[in-house]
Amino acid sequence: MQALTKALAQVGQVVLGKEEQLKLALTCLMANGHLLIEDLPGMGKTTLAHALARVFQLDYRRVQFTSDMLPADILGVSVFDPKSQDFSLREGPVFTQLLLADEINRATPKTQGALLEAMEERQVTLDGVSRKLPEPFFVVATQNPVDQAGTFVLPESQLDRFLMRISLGYPAPEVERNLLAGGDLRSLVRNLKAVISSEGLIKLTRMVDKVRATDELIDYVQRLLDATRSDDRFVAGLSPRAGLGLLKAARAWALIGGRDYVVPEDVQAVWSAVAEHRLAARQGGSVAAMTQSLLQSVPVVRR
Amino acid sequence: MRVYQVPVHTRLWLATALITCSLPQLLLGPVWQSLLLGVVVAIRWLVDHQRMRLPGRIIRGGLLVAAVGMTWFSFGRIYGPEAGVALLVSLFSLKYLEMVRQRDAYVVIVLGYFVCATALLFERGPGMFLFVLLSMLLLTAALVGINHSETKARASSHIKTGSVLFLQAVPVTVVLFVLVPRVAPLWNMQLDSGKARTGMTDSISPGDISELSESSELAFRVAFEGALPPAAERYWRGLTLSHFDGRTWQQAIPRGGAVDSYLYNGRGAPPDWYQQLQAQGKPQSGYSYQLIMEPTQRRWLFAMAVPMLEEGEASLARDMRLVARAPVTQRTRYSITSFPDLRPAIVLDVLERELMLSLPGDSFGRRARTLADQWRRDSRTDNEIVSRALRHFREQPFHYTLKPPPLTTDPIDEFLFRTQRGFCEHYASSFTFLMRAAGVPARVVVGYQGGEQNTLGSHLLVRQYDAHAWTEVWLQGQGWVRVDPTGAVAPDRIALGLRASLRGDEEAQDTLEGLDSFASGGLLGRLQQWTDYVDFRWQTWVLGYDNASQLQLLRHWLGEASPLRIAASLVAAISVLLTLYMLILLRQAGTRRQTVLEREFWRVHQRVEQQVGHPLAQGLSPQALARVIDLKWPKAGPLAHQWAVYYQQLLYNPGFGAGKAQIRHLRRLRNRLYKLLD
Amino acid sequence: MRLPAPLHDLYERWLSRRLPRSGRVVLNQKRIFIFPTGYGFFYLLVASLLFIGGINYENNLILALSFLLASLFLVAILHTYRNLSGLGIRNGDSESGFSGASGALEVILFPERRDHLCLWLYWQGQAAQQVSVTGGEESSLWLNIRLNQRGRILAPRLKVESRFPLGLLRTWSYVSLDHYCLAWPTPQEWPQCPADGGDDHSQQVPTGRAGNDEFQGLREYSPGDSLRRIDWKGYAAGKGLNTKLFEEPAGGRLWLRWDRLEGMGDEQRLSILCHWVLTLDQQQLPYGLVLPGMTLAPDMGDVHRWRALDALACYPEFD
Repeated sequence: MQALTKALAQVGQVVLGKEEQLKLALTCLMANGHLLIEDLPGMGKTTLAHALARVFQLDYRRVQFTSDMLPADILGVSVFDPKSQDFSLREGPVFTQLLLADEINRATPKTQGALLEAMEERQVTLDGVSRKLPEPFFVVATQNPVDQAGTFVLPESQLDRFLMRISLGYPAPEVERNLLAGGDLRSLVRNLKAVISSEGLIKLTRMVDKVRATDELIDYVQRLLDATRSDDRFVAGLSPRAGLGLLKAARAWALIGGRDYVVPEDVQAVWSAVAEHRLAARQGGSVAAMTQSLLQSVPVVRR
Repeated sequence: MRVYQVPVHTRLWLATALITCSLPQLLLGPVWQSLLLGVVVAIRWLVDHQRMRLPGRIIRGGLLVAAVGMTWFSFGRIYGPEAGVALLVSLFSLKYLEMVRQRDAYVVIVLGYFVCATALLFERGPGMFLFVLLSMLLLTAALVGINHSETKARASSHIKTGSVLFLQAVPVTVVLFVLVPRVAPLWNMQLDSGKARTGMTDSISPGDISELSESSELAFRVAFEGALPPAAERYWRGLTLSHFDGRTWQQAIPRGGAVDSYLYNGRGAPPDWYQQLQAQGKPQSGYSYQLIMEPTQRRWLFAMAVPMLEEGEASLARDMRLVARAPVTQRTRYSITSFPDLRPAIVLDVLERELMLSLPGDSFGRRARTLADQWRRDSRTDNEIVSRALRHFREQPFHYTLKPPPLTTDPIDEFLFRTQRGFCEHYASSFTFLMRAAGVPARVVVGYQGGEQNTLGSHLLVRQYDAHAWTEVWLQGQGWVRVDPTGAVAPDRIALGLRASLRGDEEAQDTLEGLDSFASGGLLGRLQQWTDYVDFRWQTWVLGYDNASQLQLLRHWLGEASPLRIAASLVAAISVLLTLYMLILLRQAGTRRQTVLEREFWRVHQRVEQQVGHPLAQGLSPQALARVIDLKWPKAGPLAHQWAVYYQQLLYNPGFGAGKAQIRHLRRLRNRLYKLLD
Repeated sequence: MRLPAPLHDLYERWLSRRLPRSGRVVLNQKRIFIFPTGYGFFYLLVASLLFIGGINYENNLILALSFLLASLFLVAILHTYRNLSGLGIRNGDSESGFSGASGALEVILFPERRDHLCLWLYWQGQAAQQVSVTGGEESSLWLNIRLNQRGRILAPRLKVESRFPLGLLRTWSYVSLDHYCLAWPTPQEWPQCPADGGDDHSQQVPTGRAGNDEFQGLREYSPGDSLRRIDWKGYAAGKGLNTKLFEEPAGGRLWLRWDRLEGMGDEQRLSILCHWVLTLDQQQLPYGLVLPGMTLAPDMGDVHRWRALDALACYPEFD
């Protein structure tokens, strides 16, 4: 647990003033889920991803998505090796432990699809041969929030594959002043110390599954899911997959809080990050506000 | 054309339903029916498993013809109840074989309903009805299966769905059964089961009744409303026998009397004797009871004197008996009130008096006539003659036995002066003869005496071994008076019944053993009492629930049994039931009842809400609630947080263990917290 | 059963008022209809026959049996209704096709609170498909749809039907999903390519790979580079993986233009453009598309082809 706190402190040095989001990102990692960061360019998305990789000693790659990228550009391709007179796989950038998929919404749906499928299956199939992706395997994807020209918005069904979506937003003024005075962030990142090994992280993710949730808590999660489904303001309710994700994220959050059981506050803490991007408003309005209001109206303890 | 395949998960249910529904008929009917069913099930199994093709139309037609032929062969006809049912069951099997479309499967189910119904034509006991209900449940499960077109469905789910439907249907059925008005039959379709039962014959000659005595079969049941008559008064009159030819007593009516003036059925002009009876007015004291007759194939009913019919179809005869319209072929219920005090009102006219004094030719009972003359001379009144005669039976060495020696030429004298061993019939017969010879009008009455009381209900069971014969004499001013000479010889027979009277009689040991095993105490005895009780209640509440008892019940409930009220209550009762089911069926899945701990949270939530004065969000967690308290009452803050943490541990930490002690502690925290909220 | 035309129209209007189009529908009592099936009537007849039999034989048990049948029928009403009530239906994916052929729409069924067994879904004139929704999981179903004309083909009124559990009653509902399938124009052969650009604005059919890209040089491959630009020959020769750099000459790409087919009907224009989209795609030439109100930048590949075809289908109203 101490290691986790230390990890938070380390990453906090470079992503200033964003403790909450940082904790969520860490939770997402521990829950073995993929993270989507939605922000305007230059808000420190890349820095966050890089810092996480550094602190957990993860093998890290970054891919800038463009519209002319093909699935093979990410997954890899079989090539003929003249020396061995045989085809061999040239691994794409996806074969890494932490993949930063920058501006994922610039890629065509097909390329997005290929990445998302790899995220889901945690393996890549090329020419009929399946290859496992390394463990752990995390994707931190970034996306621009506004519809910019030449972007392909991720469809809802694909968004479901990201456990969480967070946005960093502008830093607080004093933090920003520090930032401006601090100079080069990249060198800061380079100077971060590894706190937990990647094996340690795997162990942590296993521990998440052991965090216990009572029937009463599971009921609460179910009530929340049910509320999204019966609420007319949403186009569709949360899927069962989202429900599982919510519980898992709550477990990870509880573990970071130093508990081996989940309490409703854990669920509430991760609720927005898990639920918001999967819900679409039927008639406009802020999905964030609606998801928050659900949290206010769904009884924590059964009536 | 593709042959319809019963879904794999339903085949078992359909076959089981087929066999179960047919079982009652298979057990009773000819053996070839079981063979046919076996062959059909086997063929269908092979067809379903693609081991053979479905037999063609010719073979199926051939089987049909064979079934009809065999029915003809077994019953001699193909209509009528037994043959009809046999044919229906065969058709049921053959239709099962012939399922080539889904529609055929539906037809099989419907035929099953009919087969179930026919099983109830001949046997109406509670056991059979339960068995039919089981068959219906299986048919319902099969119907669910046929409609479940999903191939991966599980067979057990059908019986579950079927049972749920069934259990919900049963209360509705009860409501319909109780409230739907019983209509009179559209056309008469009396069925007799054709089996003659043992019972009273319409004549007696000594020797007959001993056969009856050994049968413990049920004769009839009587359920009293109010007090039971004392045991010595329970004489159930069946027939009066007034003509004696020296050997046999028979029914007779006075010379020149018309049969229709002898019986009065309540319609048309009443005959004289009935008018005179009416003129007396109804006495206050009487015994009211329901008589449930077992089928006798005879018309006469059994009742205490003087019976007045309250409900049912029967006529009153001049000799104070009830006579049914038609032979009693199935269990029938009559409501009767008997007025013993009405006896003196019955008149005896000249012709009848002549009949009641008539004796056979002089060759019979010479010594008896001499004895009677002696009594006549020595006595001043008829009453005295009766007393003398009874004393004679008491004082002479008469002996009660069920195995009397045969009486060959002159039964009266031989019995009275030589053998002096016999049972009720001998005593009644000779006593009546003596009375007539002494000039006292007399007749033999046969019927039943006594009855065993069921310890669970207020009803009496009268069995064949309670059959009895006694005498009635006409005394001026008293009318027909019952005299039981058997009582003079064997008082136990009357007071305690046949079994007691035979005890210690070595000759009767065999008989006694047979009777003992029936009425023995212990578990078996109690079980029999129960069986009888259930059977009796089934008879009165279910089978006997007819138009009259329905009206009575509805009047009791609704005040008035108008069609409007009945319809309204029917609709209301069914609506209530269906609404209840709807609520159960459409409720949110997985709702459990609130636990003590959960209630605890909402108590605090409510209390804080009241104190704060505005509604709090539903979605507050325990910790958030504590924060609300902290903001409003900083003094209570620490305790509120302590409460919240403790509550959180109890509800969400499985390792904490939420026992009674912990819940008590939580309550203490709450109470302390309440004090700080002001 | 067919209603007379005016009545049928009235019925249709009533239905569409009562059941407006929506992308997501949960069946409730407003939408669910229920009526006995033929077998249900037969069953009631049997129950009445038993009733008459019970009355005539004065047999209370046979009467009870007929009441039991009637009660089962009453209870079955609730169960049949329940099987449809609370079923949710929403839009899924769609599969476009050329007009005259058929497309398909995906319908997703989701349970609100209970299982729904043996449902039959179809729209007018189509064979029904069976589906069950169990265990809280969504089920999806692809329903074929005839594409009779180019454009957005709205989903016909969907009929959802069920007879479970006893087959005595049929419960059904109509669902008008706000869902559509794009019908692309039928390709019509036309000798002249309605395109600008290419070599010297020529309207010749470009054949084969035009040498319009000028090779500039190589640089080391980096992830994200297009695989089409890799110097495979060099790689085979053992020179490592390199990316070829090109300079694209202006006007080197083809622009299929609506304007170039003047004097024809809209549909014919679209059909010809469609034909050329397919031809150019087959020849692996990059092409752009200019329609009134929509311009698609030149590109190539499956996704591009779909977007071009969808644009042709949507004309004149683009999202």
